[in-house]
Amino acid sequence: MNDRHWKDLIARRLMLISGSFLLILGLLMIFMMYQRSKPILALTPLKDLLFSLSWHPTKGQFGLAGFIAGTLWVTVIAMIIAVPLSILTAIYLAEYAAKPLRGLLKPFIDLLAGISPVIYGVWGIIAIVPLVRDYFMPFLTNHLKFFPFVSENYTGFSALTAGIVLAIMIFPVLISVMEEVLHAVPFGIRESSLALGATQWQTIKGAVFKKAWPGIIAAIILGLSRAFGETMAVLMVAGCSLGQIPKSIFDAAYPLPALIATTYGEMMSIPLYDAAVLAAAFILLMITILFNMAGWGILLRMERNQI
Amino acid sequence: MDRRRLEERVMKGLMILSTLLVVGSSVCILLTIFLKGVSAIDLNMLIQTPKGGYYLGKEGGILNAILGSLVLGVGATFLAFLVSVPITFYLNLYLRRASRFSYILRFLFDVLYGMPAIVYGAFGFTLMVFWGLKASLLAGMITIAFLIIPIMARATDEVLKMIPFELPEASLAMGTTRWETARGVIFKQALPGILTAVLLAFGRAIGDGAAVLLTAGFTDSNPSSLFKPVATLPLAIFFQLATPFPEVQRRGYAAAFILTVLILMVSLISRILSWKFTQNVVR
Amino acid sequence: MSILLFSVLFSSVTLKAENKALQGNLTLSGAWAMYPTVVAWAEAFQKIHPKVHIDISAGGAGKGAADALAGFVDIGMVSRDPDPSELQKDIKAIYVLKDAVFPIVNEKNFYISTLLKRGLSKRNFQDIYVTGTQIYWDLDYFSVVTHKPKMIHHYTRSDASGAAASWARYLGVQQEDLMGIGIYGDPGILEAVLRDPLGIGYANFSFVFNRQGTVIPGIKLIPIDANENGIADPEEIYQNRDEANRAIEKGSYPVVRRNYFFIKKDVGDVVKEFIRFTLSEEGTRIVHETAANLPLTKTERAKILESLEHE
Repeated sequence: MNDRHWKDLIARRLMLISGSFLLILGLLMIFMMYQRSKPILALTPLKDLLFSLSWHPTKGQFGLAGFIAGTLWVTVIAMIIAVPLSILTAIYLAEYAAKPLRGLLKPFIDLLAGISPVIYGVWGIIAIVPLVRDYFMPFLTNHLKFFPFVSENYTGFSALTAGIVLAIMIFPVLISVMEEVLHAVPFGIRESSLALGATQWQTIKGAVFKKAWPGIIAAIILGLSRAFGETMAVLMVAGCSLGQIPKSIFDAAYPLPALIATTYGEMMSIPLYDAAVLAAAFILLMITILFNMAGWGILLRMERNQI
Repeated sequence: MDRRRLEERVMKGLMILSTLLVVGSSVCILLTIFLKGVSAIDLNMLIQTPKGGYYLGKEGGILNAILGSLVLGVGATFLAFLVSVPITFYLNLYLRRASRFSYILRFLFDVLYGMPAIVYGAFGFTLMVFWGLKASLLAGMITIAFLIIPIMARATDEVLKMIPFELPEASLAMGTTRWETARGVIFKQALPGILTAVLLAFGRAIGDGAAVLLTAGFTDSNPSSLFKPVATLPLAIFFQLATPFPEVQRRGYAAAFILTVLILMVSLISRILSWKFTQNVVR
Repeated sequence: MSILLFSVLFSSVTLKAENKALQGNLTLSGAWAMYPTVVAWAEAFQKIHPKVHIDISAGGAGKGAADALAGFVDIGMVSRDPDPSELQKDIKAIYVLKDAVFPIVNEKNFYISTLLKRGLSKRNFQDIYVTGTQIYWDLDYFSVVTHKPKMIHHYTRSDASGAAASWARYLGVQQEDLMGIGIYGDPGILEAVLRDPLGIGYANFSFVFNRQGTVIPGIKLIPIDANENGIADPEEIYQNRDEANRAIEKGSYPVVRRNYFFIKKDVGDVVKEFIRFTLSEEGTRIVHETAANLPLTKTERAKILESLEHE
């Protein structure tokens, strides 16, 4: 009797240790970033760091505003494209598609999750940049002469391009989580709705969706996190142009992860550069945490209301 | 009556369209890489290591990168497994749903999930300098393990959350300890899902370039020691695409195709295995 | 005479025999620009010293510097001048290769014939890349235009690159001050200009010429009007590698840059021997053969080898 008790206790302790390990790891990473970015705060006030546009490290100017704006543009565009398409696809897969069809389509969607970001970047340059440059840009700029479409950048390397590539990258995570969530809704709910005479779509819209909302929000949070953090693919197609805030989806953007990647090499050499770059990473982390908290807040409120 | 049916038709049409777009983009990427690299694919690529001057256009293959990525992936996935699975079991079996600790941990998963790969690389680099490690297989394994822990943990968590609570309840009601319940009942039930999670993490582990660039180094030889640099497929692709020689660039696309096929195979294997083990699962 | 010959032969044979005992590992990482040449060097070196094993990784000049500073690799390949702060951290920078950065333009550019005839001066480039005052291809001294003005799509490097640093230095600024769409990597910027008739960019010596030595089809090198006389003089025009080589060696090409090996001050024999090899006649021959960079002149090499000996 005691023997089993001990095993249970030990197992429990070990699990707790692994959990604490993760917690410590996370805190350590955050601490490292904070510690190594402190020197920059001594030199540049936080207001300048966040809101100044001038990025001239050799002159000691570290304004990250352009990069923060770039990150927001690219991520928002990606979410606007990815979320509706993912919801629609997830509903189709979960509710309408026959089992064999679903079995056929799912591997292709999962494949998207496995493709290396470098390959996404290369494909973006081959396929999406020309698409934006030769089709989207001329067409939209001529017919919609207002913000956020007007731009002077005709190269095809733009926030929109990065947004499209990023959206495709987060499809698998959004779709798979949403699909699981829809699957988990008890069949009884659908049955009763259909029995009352609703069409399949009405059932989904009215009943299934209501139950699945928290899960869908959770999926969006996850996709958003991933979108904020993607480095390589975005770097290759966003047009990384220094010193400007994008004012159009067709303008070039320079997101924070791209900045970290491109300047990482110089970090050890030029004074304060590493502090600035890690400060950029830290700011990115703060933005991610903020959005996560907002998302979780919504989730918690929903769960409370659902009881 | 008609409006409802119309709405249904329209929505269904939109859904099919969006599914086509998603699946279509996946097929498009696959095709593009294939078409750009097919002229350079040959058997030699898979079975030989680069023979000096490979990146200048001479003979050899990328066996070093293929083996390197596989070894690195397996090692990193194993390390990540040791951390992810216990913690998700703990979360789902021992803690109450709404406990503080579980919220903090799940929140941490999501935040770490979004951390850019390059920051993991920077963290790994800092640790290496701290511990006096040089660019090596071990450094790469550890860094990639950190990278994929949130992925594996989150996926496993999703699986465990889905298990109807009657199952562990029934088991506990019969007098088993929680550990026995975890090992005997939950694990069997969740096995297909856990396998999928592990393989998903593995796929990410072999595909990442940013974190390995800073920690694993590169070499022309096959992986031989934990403390020597190791070649990885994403970096091999990257290096080949960055040379000035078009024939080498074409080989880069071929290598990219090989990597993609590898990941497709991993995905297929995970499906087959999970289908096989689903036979033991209670529905 | 024969005694001289015999003694030379004898000493080279014994020298070779001594060299055969050299063994160990050597790791390098860094600049894309130096990668092909260093790989060729390593291959030849490992043939002479079979017990030495060399691992080379690219990743950019910045990475090379970072890795050398952190002690991760034995030699960092860095395609830019060392920063004073780097030299303070116990690093020695050894000049081993040189190459050049060329401004490039798409051959289908509307003004290509005028560009090739007149070239662009440093001032023109500054107006495009630094001050941003030149936004259209219809430069002021060209003939009156009747169509809609065509914008200049200026491309620059987004990654911390030696080529960008050199180009910026030529224009009197730092890389971070260069305006333009940031593209990642040498092949990237080349590709961008190849696909864009309104594009202008700058690229590495090794990337603009193909194997046969002519300029890659699709782009043209913009003659830099160094003497600012408004015409592209014959020595300012390069349409193949040999012409470019000559101009660089003569010293008349303005955007030349140095490639360095970064090493820590106290290095082992294998590193020293490798560096000696790269600066030897054989090493020089390999550089010519790979045709990705240019070797140093004989006098330059002798000077550096000498300073190495006084360690």
